[in-house]
Amino acid sequence: MPKKLRGRAADFIFAAPLTVAFVVMFGFFAIYGDGFFEADNLQNVALQSAALCIVAVAIGLVMIAGYIDLSVGSVMGFSGVAAGYLITQSHWSPVWASIVGVALGALSGLVNGVLVAYLRFSALIVTLGALTILRGATFAITPQTFYDFGPGFAVFGSGHFLSVPIPVWIAAAVCIAATVFLQYTAGGRHVYAVGVSQEAAYFSGINVRRIPLFLFVVSGAAAGLAGIITIARIDAAPSGSLGVGFELSALTAVLLGGVSFAGGRGSVFGILLGVLFLGILQNGLAIMNVSFANQQIANGLALVVATALEAGSAWLSRRMGVRRLARRPVTTPVAVGREPA
Amino acid sequence: MAVSIRGLSKVFGGSPALSGVDFEVGAGEVHALLGPNGAGKSTLIRCLSGAVQPDAGTIVIEDEVYTELSPKQAIEAGVAVIYQNTSLIPSLTVTENVFLGEELTRWGFVRRGTQRKEAAALLHTLLGSAEIDPDGQVGSLPLATRQLVEVAKALSRANVKLLILDEPTAALTESEAHIIFDRLRRLRSQGLHIIYITHRLQEVFEIADRVTVLRDGKVALAGQSVANLDATAVVTAIAGARVVHPPRDEVGASRPVLTLSGLSGTRFGPVDLEVGAGEVVGLFGALGSGRSELLETIFGARAPDAGRILVNGHAIDPRKPAGAIAEGIALVPADRLRQALLGELDATDNVLLPSYLKLALFGFRRLAAERRVFASAAAETSFPTALAHRRGRQLSGGTQQKLIVGRWLRSARPIHVLMMDEPTQGVDVGTRSELYKIILESARRDGRAVLFASSDHEEVVALADRAVVMKAGRVVTEFQRSRLTEDNLIQAAHLDGAEGPAGNAGWRQPGARHA
Repeated sequence: MPKKLRGRAADFIFAAPLTVAFVVMFGFFAIYGDGFFEADNLQNVALQSAALCIVAVAIGLVMIAGYIDLSVGSVMGFSGVAAGYLITQSHWSPVWASIVGVALGALSGLVNGVLVAYLRFSALIVTLGALTILRGATFAITPQTFYDFGPGFAVFGSGHFLSVPIPVWIAAAVCIAATVFLQYTAGGRHVYAVGVSQEAAYFSGINVRRIPLFLFVVSGAAAGLAGIITIARIDAAPSGSLGVGFELSALTAVLLGGVSFAGGRGSVFGILLGVLFLGILQNGLAIMNVSFANQQIANGLALVVATALEAGSAWLSRRMGVRRLARRPVTTPVAVGREPA
Repeated sequence: MAVSIRGLSKVFGGSPALSGVDFEVGAGEVHALLGPNGAGKSTLIRCLSGAVQPDAGTIVIEDEVYTELSPKQAIEAGVAVIYQNTSLIPSLTVTENVFLGEELTRWGFVRRGTQRKEAAALLHTLLGSAEIDPDGQVGSLPLATRQLVEVAKALSRANVKLLILDEPTAALTESEAHIIFDRLRRLRSQGLHIIYITHRLQEVFEIADRVTVLRDGKVALAGQSVANLDATAVVTAIAGARVVHPPRDEVGASRPVLTLSGLSGTRFGPVDLEVGAGEVVGLFGALGSGRSELLETIFGARAPDAGRILVNGHAIDPRKPAGAIAEGIALVPADRLRQALLGELDATDNVLLPSYLKLALFGFRRLAAERRVFASAAAETSFPTALAHRRGRQLSGGTQQKLIVGRWLRSARPIHVLMMDEPTQGVDVGTRSELYKIILESARRDGRAVLFASSDHEEVVALADRAVVMKAGRVVTEFQRSRLTEDNLIQAAHLDGAEGPAGNAGWRQPGARHA
């Protein structure tokens, strides 16, 4: 029987290399990282990952449909700083300022979506342009930082409900909503179809324009939401740094989580795992007094190694698959397909 | 005798593609190779080009005897093949394409001037065409000129002795084809061996010296001189032994479900056609006869130029496939892997894709209803339910096609008109007859109008109640069931050419992927 067990374990490792790497890393930090495996620290990791999680899930949806949204970092900055302006300069209520912040994000997503989905511009170029334009617009609001949004707003970023931080609840809600959307709505299946083959989806009668438009709006709104949560958590809206480079962190998490650049593949669970992987790696390394420079290097290495792992495991499982098929030819898809029962 | 093949055999996965084929091409000869789809023509060519290693037999090229060829050996032996779809890169110039992969270099730098001069000389001396600009971008050239550039590219390789052309005129108009023939005669006079594969019978009599017909991997007509042949003899060789089809119930006069009146569009028209309830109509025509374009126009993937489409008596104007589907029109496209199948998604997704939205309640999927639809589609097409969660690309061609047909037969939206373009392309023989039965039964039982396009005469005879022959975008003849024979079809479709509408404008496409 040991042979069979080994086969099962191997299957699992091949199926989910990131899960395995995640567990190994978690175990390593739990044993060697002083104070890593404590409720406070883990809660801190979750809190710091919440904004990234929201943005990563949203651009993950865009990428499953075969597109890309690079503008999220600047959208986050723009929405956050705009909300900060409304609260501190116009003395709006935090709730209305937040709603406007999210709406501004959705609006920029709408513009991206119309350009990409309906006018068929390159998503890479359009959203790269939006990244620069919105950073400029953020500086136009203020080159400085707005502070001190009052206690009512701070709850949004650092308050607790059932001893879990509010942003974590929000991120969880986003994850659940995205999962329900992908798995349990017709639109979710259409997202995968568009990502696998836009042409085949078009010939099946799917609206191949509306799906990506909707996803770009969602992605913009999610980035706006992440901006609001972040300024509430740090009680400041720095136009020079809010959301800067965030699109790359989100992209890293999404790719780690098994979404492919080619589209048509990926799950919310995978993206969540990618986000937590990055969050824990950063936290664990910081606890072990690894310098910031080396943390950055580790982040990059993680992505490359994960890709290599996936490619390697696909290759290995293909080889093992071939051997298995040779032993039991009845289960080969082609053989069964040719002799339908 | 310079190129000869003796007893060539090749078996693919248990079914013989070639069995003991003898074939000869003399110097300065154009030898036409004909046969229905799957006759073994491509396998023969691929044995010669080194893409496939034969199981038995010998290939003799200029006194060199080979039992198998590698691609490199084939090139060294002087074999050059020009495939149906040109391998040219549209964004490069003619010169760059001619020397692609074999650039003339000095110290690693491309000698552009020399290349340009040689390309110009090649185009001029070999093809006698000074009108091809060696600096012109290939993408801006007409299709016929591209084929000529392809020939020049093949001939730029050293010592070409055997030139093989695989349906070079399939996408060309009559006058464009004549340009190609002109150049081929010139090459023939220079002593080249030329193998010319075609589906068009009249071309054989125009350009070829001798004819060989393959059928089911065997030689059905061996190297007959064209002078001693008439079209009927060739047709008989292609059609082969008669298959006796069981008599079927006449559909009789039924109410028309699909009516086209004066419909014209890219590469076809005007077309008038009626398909009745429960009737299966076959559009027979060669590649480029406009049949695919006609179907895609009815499906809303292309814009019509003029005319009307009526479904159950009321006019429709679908702007995209989704609109046509809403009117009860479905299309099973010819290019299954690109336009129909979602290779990365599983079998249930592939069947349910057009039905998801219709089945959902406020956008949320009703899984039980989806399972019922899938089960009934699987039962209808005898799709093995054990494969329900297998990914599309892991299935055999026939099983894939069952998914695509099943997606419309049991769609959550009522489908009144089922159109199919090459319904059994890449489908194994067993599944093929199974699909015919499924389609025919479903048409009769549900009163659906079925319109399919095919370049396979056997298929048309096996499946259609009535056949419409298309050529150069127009309907040339119609055969009722009683007169529907393979000979009649081949003769109607392949003889007497007419100039067709030129141009190859695209669809209202979903557009290139932009990520």
